[in-house]
Amino acid sequence: MTSRKKIAVRKKNTPLQRARPAASSARKVPPSAANTDVPTRRLVVGIGASAGGLEAFQTFFANMPSNSGLAFVLVQHLDPHHKTMLAELLSRHTKMTVSEAQDGTFAAPNTVSIIPPDATLTIQDGRLRVSTPAPDRLTRRPIDSFLCSLAEDQGDNAVCIILSGGGSDGTIGLRAVKEQGGLTLAQSQVDDRALAGMPSSAASTGLVDYVVPVETMPAKLIEYQRHLLEVDAQKDPDGLRQDGPTHLKEICVSLRNQLGHDFSEYKEATLIRRIQRRMQVLHVDTMPAYIAILKKDSHEAELLFRDLLIGVTHFFRDPLAFEALETTIIPQIVKSKGADDTIRVWVAGCATGEEAYSIAILLHEAVAKRLVKPKIIVFATDIDDRAIAIARAGRYQTSSLDDFTHERQARWFVQDGEHYCPIKVIRESCIFSVHSVFKDPPFSKLDLISCRNLLIYLDAALQDRIFRVFHYALRPSGYLFLGFSEGIGRRGNLFAAADKKHRIFRRRDDAPSSFPHFSSPGSISQKPSTTGEQSPRSVEDDIAARVDALVEKYSPPHIVVDKSHEVVRFFGRTGKYLEPSSGPASLKLFSVLKKSLRPIVRAALQEVVAKGHRVLRENIPIETDGSTELLNVSVETLPDPAGESESSLYVVVFHDHEPTASIVNPTPTLVPGRVGKAKMRDAEAELRATKQHLQLAIDEAEHASEELKSANEEYQSVNEELQSTNEELETSKEEMQSINEELQTVNAELNSKNDLMNRLNADLKNLLESTQIATIFLGDDLHIRSFTPAMGVIFNIRDSDRGRPITDLANLMGYETIAVDVQNVLRTLSVVEREIQLAEHGATYIMRIRPYRTIDKILDGVVITFIDIADRKRGEQIHARMAAIVESSQDAIVGHSLDGVISSWNAAAELIFGYTAAEAIGKSISILIPADRSDDVPGFLEKLKRGERVEHFEIRRVGKGNVPIDVSLSISPVKNEKGEMIAASTIARDVTERALAEAHRKLLMAELDHRVKNSLMTVQSIAKLTLRRAGSLEEFAASFESRLMALSRTHNLLIESKWEGAVLRSIVAGELAPYQSADGARCTILGVTVRLAPGRALAIGMALHELATNAAKYGALSDPQGHVSVAWEIRDRGEGSRFTMNWIESGGPPVSPPKRRGFGSHLIMRGLAYDLQGEARLDFDPAGVRCTIEFPLEPGVEVT
Amino acid sequence: MDGADGQIDALQGLRILVVEDEMLVAMFVEGVLIDLGCLVVGPAGRLPQAIRLAAAESIDGALLDLNLDGDEVYSVADKLAERNIPFAFATGHSAVHLKNPYRDRPLIQKPYGVRQIQELLHTWVKIGPG
Repeated sequence: MTSRKKIAVRKKNTPLQRARPAASSARKVPPSAANTDVPTRRLVVGIGASAGGLEAFQTFFANMPSNSGLAFVLVQHLDPHHKTMLAELLSRHTKMTVSEAQDGTFAAPNTVSIIPPDATLTIQDGRLRVSTPAPDRLTRRPIDSFLCSLAEDQGDNAVCIILSGGGSDGTIGLRAVKEQGGLTLAQSQVDDRALAGMPSSAASTGLVDYVVPVETMPAKLIEYQRHLLEVDAQKDPDGLRQDGPTHLKEICVSLRNQLGHDFSEYKEATLIRRIQRRMQVLHVDTMPAYIAILKKDSHEAELLFRDLLIGVTHFFRDPLAFEALETTIIPQIVKSKGADDTIRVWVAGCATGEEAYSIAILLHEAVAKRLVKPKIIVFATDIDDRAIAIARAGRYQTSSLDDFTHERQARWFVQDGEHYCPIKVIRESCIFSVHSVFKDPPFSKLDLISCRNLLIYLDAALQDRIFRVFHYALRPSGYLFLGFSEGIGRRGNLFAAADKKHRIFRRRDDAPSSFPHFSSPGSISQKPSTTGEQSPRSVEDDIAARVDALVEKYSPPHIVVDKSHEVVRFFGRTGKYLEPSSGPASLKLFSVLKKSLRPIVRAALQEVVAKGHRVLRENIPIETDGSTELLNVSVETLPDPAGESESSLYVVVFHDHEPTASIVNPTPTLVPGRVGKAKMRDAEAELRATKQHLQLAIDEAEHASEELKSANEEYQSVNEELQSTNEELETSKEEMQSINEELQTVNAELNSKNDLMNRLNADLKNLLESTQIATIFLGDDLHIRSFTPAMGVIFNIRDSDRGRPITDLANLMGYETIAVDVQNVLRTLSVVEREIQLAEHGATYIMRIRPYRTIDKILDGVVITFIDIADRKRGEQIHARMAAIVESSQDAIVGHSLDGVISSWNAAAELIFGYTAAEAIGKSISILIPADRSDDVPGFLEKLKRGERVEHFEIRRVGKGNVPIDVSLSISPVKNEKGEMIAASTIARDVTERALAEAHRKLLMAELDHRVKNSLMTVQSIAKLTLRRAGSLEEFAASFESRLMALSRTHNLLIESKWEGAVLRSIVAGELAPYQSADGARCTILGVTVRLAPGRALAIGMALHELATNAAKYGALSDPQGHVSVAWEIRDRGEGSRFTMNWIESGGPPVSPPKRRGFGSHLIMRGLAYDLQGEARLDFDPAGVRCTIEFPLEPGVEVT
Repeated sequence: MDGADGQIDALQGLRILVVEDEMLVAMFVEGVLIDLGCLVVGPAGRLPQAIRLAAAESIDGALLDLNLDGDEVYSVADKLAERNIPFAFATGHSAVHLKNPYRDRPLIQKPYGVRQIQELLHTWVKIGPG
């Protein structure tokens, strides 16, 4: 915040500094550098950038020679917590020293200083100032801070460049640099259009001299510097061109001719300084050359005009003054107003409107505190039409509101994108118009005039005139609010200080108010009128005064009167011609003149007024001290020194006759002598009679004269009345003129608003017509207000339906409850959405009812839109079909963004990986990648980004709970309509089953191996055991073979049953088959069907084989009559059931127990018992061999 | 039968536990051992019996079929190991991995003959029955 305040404080001083001699900048050059031969100009280039700035910086310095003599200061938006690499990165592109700015170092030529992180950089007396820490992010505007200090410190030696970056930082600083006469550049994008962000924000001020690409900036700078040095030679110590004044008039004339604005009474120094700037920008060396350009190129006149009008303004500029205004002046104004009154304010020279809005805000705040609320009008005028346009638009950068309290900002402004707009009530209080304070009639009856930082540009005469305009325009005791360095000068008679410190003045009501004379544009040079005033320029010369005294001595006495016969001046000894009438003192000529002279002079004066030429009355008798003198009186118009024909002054001159001169009526002289006494007496009598007669005549004449006089006085009073009426009329006329001006202003404002409305209306109409969305607007009462053409097409609504209630049309839409829905929307302010089917169109619409709000957010009906969703329906169907395919797929189908965030997850994915869709969506695809191989994805992505598919490849993935899953992946890019890859779709097929099968196969192989080995072991054992008991090789071969065959048979049975168990009957039948009779009577086999486990089956099979072979060799089967019975049974079925099998031979030769126990009996007796965990008994009964085998059946053995 | 007399003598009277579920194989091994002059303990075809024998009988060595009617024979091995009696496993699997702690125990591949048994017994004799 502190830095912001600093800016504000500096700004206040700008008018003073504006006039600061440029030469003073030499003082700021560091002493060490000043000793060199190079001219003293040191340009300091402040460069601001933010995002994308590095590249711009690099380009800039790559094109900048390292010996330019310029000092560079780079200000960037930096992360306060990170050290910047900028210096290091830039030093690769320039030979200049690049370093981080240190507090107190000089911005030396051919060096580059960079703002350190978390710091505010400023410049003061050519030294860089670093203060830490930087203000917090919200208020940090390092570029503005630096550029403002640069402008103040370096004046027209400042150069500012705004490079790439977002936001609007730098704009305020650029204004300051420009205002101080510095050069301003901004980075362009293409075609001289400023790059979006900071450059375009800067360019929108219209104050950027060059909007160019970065590459060309260095050349511009060097050229500018060269030109500046050349021109310096032609300047006086104040930094003004010596040839300036001589050409100024021509430039002013040229401007007046082209633009109609006269700057001839602006301060010469200001004008020259601004013209010089334009010349520097154009690289023009001489004034005549510039004038030539000015005359030829109307654009240049425009640019110069803009430059001349540069004014820095912002909200509450000069906060202390505004505070004074707020606390002392405005309450007084507001207090004096009733509810029907209007507070009228005129902001003259309002520029872009901030001041007008500021005052409007203060007034509204003051009014809001009171019960009676007078209306507020702020007339805001400027001659700069472009500034007025900006003011009217009323859109301000966020930065311009920095000095606002939060509360004020929230209360009076609404945010609109990146801009802030004054709320409607403020906007409507301000009327902006293009108006010239000195050319156009003023407003009237104002309570306050704010005219800040305008007078400083004007010369004394023009200032004087403006004060009189203001005096006229203010109502009694109205206030005048001037800029920081402005005052009322000699016009103390018109205004008295109300707050001297803050330049607030109050109108003096004792001074005569006069409607100022306004020159037409064509006669601007006319001097101000001096009606009722004494020319301040009538300075009396000493010699002239002495001559006048002498002339007066010799000249006849005379009296100067005005039109109304009021004596203006007496000259010479007029006393003897005067005889004031009794009564009230008066300076009327005919009240003070000797009575005898009055008729004659009155007649003469009338003649002069009527005819205009001099009138002389001779030999008028006048009585003085009892004697009569003759007198000549001449009356003539007093010539006006200006030579104007109309003059209201007359001079009455009295010429005395010499006493000896021709006396027409000489005093009677007594002649003594001899003339007859009678004759004398007669004559005397006659004389007496004549005298009496004369006296009578004189009395009569006097009487008539008195009557005439009173008549005259009557006329005079009538005349005065008429005159005052006339004056009143004049005043009314002036007021009318002011009101007219005011109306014109309002009219212009309305016109501009109207234009805007028309355009908006046209936009809206086009929008409504071009939109395919059927829209209908309803009033509160459900009456149709308007609708779009699409509505007509769908619902057949015609223009004539406007004003009809929508309920009339409800059935057209097949939507009866519309009224209820609309009422709901109006009541709850929510949005109602319904799907509507139109049977006849076969179309489906989404209908949305929204509340209709006016700009002021006042509810006024509803808007209903109908969106044709036939396409969407189709799309939805396709989508549903695709979704069904995806869902029913056995393969996991996973959609994900380029950075791997999962966006879709089908059922198979859920099945395979175990995560539900809700769990997976939004997570990274890496949850599926085993921790030890998280790096296998980028490679695929590279391939995908080239637009290639990644075809099936097998890889290990993990599911929920880190369960490993082997999948076959294929990844396809998902592309947008431009063919750019925007996402990817991964299809994973679970190959775990396959892997399991593989494992199973391996297991089987191992099992097979095991079985074979076991079988071989068995065979080996059989061989060994057979061999042990064999008598001969032949016997061994036969026995071994038959045993292997028996083994093999049981094996076959087991294989048939997939090694699950062999049916006992089949084993028995198999072993007895070679000996069975055709009718099956030789061997009886009887028993339940029971399936024996492989081990048991093999053992039983082998035992039966031995029994059968033995029987065939020695027993029942060796005799054709012999009989073998094999029977088995299972007792106690279920738990603990036992299997018993009996082998009974009969009908064979008598049996005797063998001498030696053979393999067979050994097998049966020991082996079988062993293998079956049961018992085996072998009886060599003479009637036939019997064998009983008994063993427990494990539960679950298959028995039928 | 075959082999040097001295060697046979060395094996005289050794009490060898045979654990084998297959009757014919058990009979064969029994025969071989008897021929070598050994005394056969068992043969045991089921785990409970084998464990009982391994725990209680006087035994100098044991030949254990790895798979005993579906059960692994390790519990028998545990008993023997406890008693510090040497033993060897026999199996039909060609590439089998013995479980710990029996990784290093001798393993005889089926089918095996007299020779393998004889050699095994000799190693025990050399090591000595603890």
